[in-house]
Amino acid sequence: MENRLVVSASPHIAHKDSVKKIMFGVVISLLPAAVGGVYFFGAKAAWVIVLAILSAVITEALIEKLTKKPITIADGSAIVTGILLAFNVPPEVPWWIPVIGSAFAIAIGKVPFGGLGYNPMNPALLGRAFLLASWPSHMTIFKTAPKDGSLSGINLAAIKSYGLDAITSATPLNVFKTQRGILFEWHDVLKSGMENPALQAKADLANNAISQLSDSYANLFWGRVGGCVGETSVFLLLIGALYLIYKRYIGLRIPLTYIGTVAVLTWLFAGTEGLFSGDPLFHVLSGGLILGAFFMATDMVTSPVTPKGRIWFGVGCGVITVIIRLVGGYPEGVSYSILLMNLTVPLLDRYTKPKTFGKVEQK
Amino acid sequence: MKEIFKLGGILLLVTALASGALSMVNKITKPKIEEQKRLVVERALIAALPTADPKAIEKVIENDEILYYIGYTTQEKTDIAGYAFVAKKAGYSSVIETMVGVDTTGKIIGIKVMEEKETPGLGTKIEEIKYGESAPWFQLQFINRYAGELAVDKDNGPIRSITGATISSRAVTNSIKEGLEQLEKRLGGFKKQANPTQTEQVS
Amino acid sequence: MSMMSEFSKGFYKENPVFKLVLGLCPTLAVSNSVQNAIGMGVAATFVLIMSNVIVSLIRKGVPKKIRIPIYIVVIATFVTIVDLVMAGFAPALHKSLGIFVPLIVVNCIILGRAEAFAGKNPVFYSFLDGLGMGLGFTFALTIISIVRELLGNGSLWGVPLMPPSFEPVLLLILPPGAFLTLGLFLGFFNWLDAKRDA
Repeated sequence: MENRLVVSASPHIAHKDSVKKIMFGVVISLLPAAVGGVYFFGAKAAWVIVLAILSAVITEALIEKLTKKPITIADGSAIVTGILLAFNVPPEVPWWIPVIGSAFAIAIGKVPFGGLGYNPMNPALLGRAFLLASWPSHMTIFKTAPKDGSLSGINLAAIKSYGLDAITSATPLNVFKTQRGILFEWHDVLKSGMENPALQAKADLANNAISQLSDSYANLFWGRVGGCVGETSVFLLLIGALYLIYKRYIGLRIPLTYIGTVAVLTWLFAGTEGLFSGDPLFHVLSGGLILGAFFMATDMVTSPVTPKGRIWFGVGCGVITVIIRLVGGYPEGVSYSILLMNLTVPLLDRYTKPKTFGKVEQK
Repeated sequence: MKEIFKLGGILLLVTALASGALSMVNKITKPKIEEQKRLVVERALIAALPTADPKAIEKVIENDEILYYIGYTTQEKTDIAGYAFVAKKAGYSSVIETMVGVDTTGKIIGIKVMEEKETPGLGTKIEEIKYGESAPWFQLQFINRYAGELAVDKDNGPIRSITGATISSRAVTNSIKEGLEQLEKRLGGFKKQANPTQTEQVS
Repeated sequence: MSMMSEFSKGFYKENPVFKLVLGLCPTLAVSNSVQNAIGMGVAATFVLIMSNVIVSLIRKGVPKKIRIPIYIVVIATFVTIVDLVMAGFAPALHKSLGIFVPLIVVNCIILGRAEAFAGKNPVFYSFLDGLGMGLGFTFALTIISIVRELLGNGSLWGVPLMPPSFEPVLLLILPPGAFLTLGLFLGFFNWLDAKRDA
């Protein structure tokens, strides 16, 4: 900046943070969870992350080269997209899943709209949605149990003593969804007064499984559960999030309203014994909620700029997530909820525009 | 006023000509279309009752509604090879109709999906024939099973549901189960299955 | 007005799907397999030619005030003929196209050509226009469906072509895949034009 006396429209206060600096800040904040993913799931998780980053960066460079646009990979946003995409796929996917996912995220989700700052939806989540719709068998099957833990997060000792082996070969939310379904079916049978010993045995097992899920908070918090590469360890994600909050790269409105909405709604509706019997802590700690709420819903490009808009954005994400988790076809709804709310951002911004200071409301 | 009559008259003329043309086309295509419909049912019956003589399958009709079909082993119609019925249930985006054949003990001996408009690539896989195979793998899973066993894997049954199309898989499975139970009631019970490993000879 | 240009404009210069962006409902819905696409293309082309010819024949006798209802009756008649003939002679195709055969009635390409061209031009030109537009529509459907069927199902015309290790991109034969493929083609043709004009 040589010419510092520029006459232009407001705002005039410049901040020393550049796009590049912020993006590398985000990369640093994602590192603990990345290291955690490799620690818990082994070297294949590292491969997924590396391939996703490489694919994102190369795709962006290639398209910009072909269309003769300035090459923008140095701003680091493609690296962030690659890491976030890798965080959202299971660790045991074939090598081409993260490669195609990242390429789609950049080539369809970002560049055609004009590159960084113009994409209406979070590219990494778009990539994940594409992968989930195209190869559901690879994206919904989790086989790798984390180091020192079980896929479902239930303690190994409890699995043995309750005979739960058969139903805990899935992620916590998956176990929750299927077992809750069995319990509802059992309640219907109980109401009708019929006898069904086979179902009763299954319902007993389901009750055990769900209560054991609730006792697995510690495993969920530290990350000793199955899941996507970077979503499992709440602890490591929170370290990164604290860094972002400390650097003021993200605000608290979206994450807090998002997580709060999920907690309240699951407490109200997620139980099997009527209202207020749900387990909000389990729902907050499991799945990709922490990753989504702090790292993806807060994406500067695809979230509202107004304070009120951010609150509504978080609430909307929470409502959609809970609806998908409890009544939808998938066990987890974080990525779809954020994508759907991304599309409402222009409207939210428009209707929550703060009043100009000193302006008198027109009658 | 005069203009309205004139315009109306022209429209009337055009529509009359159109209906005339259509009735002519209809006359030509109607027998063909009915033939096609009959062929669908006929082919399904042959697939569902492989042990029956294709020319010895009778309808059981009550109040203009086909309740079920009886297939005989020979044209003399002395020995019953099995029964067939149409199972219907709403799937994901359409009503799935399946022709199901059972032997006299209630064991499924053949099924054929006659009508479905499920999501291409997902639900339509109920009719998918894998490369190099001769019958749809999903439907083959039902052969040699009884009503009591029918449930998809998500409901802890033995039928492997189609990835991404649990609703379609469940609709087919449950419609067949319900249809079998209804057929059993109508027949007043199936013959006892003496021993699952030893199929009963109908003499 | 040269005959050749009336016929050929439908392919590229005024391609109903890629240039006029008309008739998108069937384009999106039945381009999931090449068989469906060509079946729909042929059906629509037949209706287009016949309605263009009839509309052009009666154009002098049709009062302006009721021309639209008359055009619709003419189109609906031919659509019903196609529907009946297809049900009788090509039941498999009829089954897989389903509701989209009767929906040709509201395909805006057909009413659009009747109103914009056949109602004002002589019979032979209208015939060429209908044929060109119909083939252009078929061409658009076919190239979209080739991409979608090959990548989304690993086959062309129902024949498996990809190696067994290929895992089809399911999304492409689902509805979002139709929007995605069409969007990319639209972008590609616009880019071609922009490049040529530059």
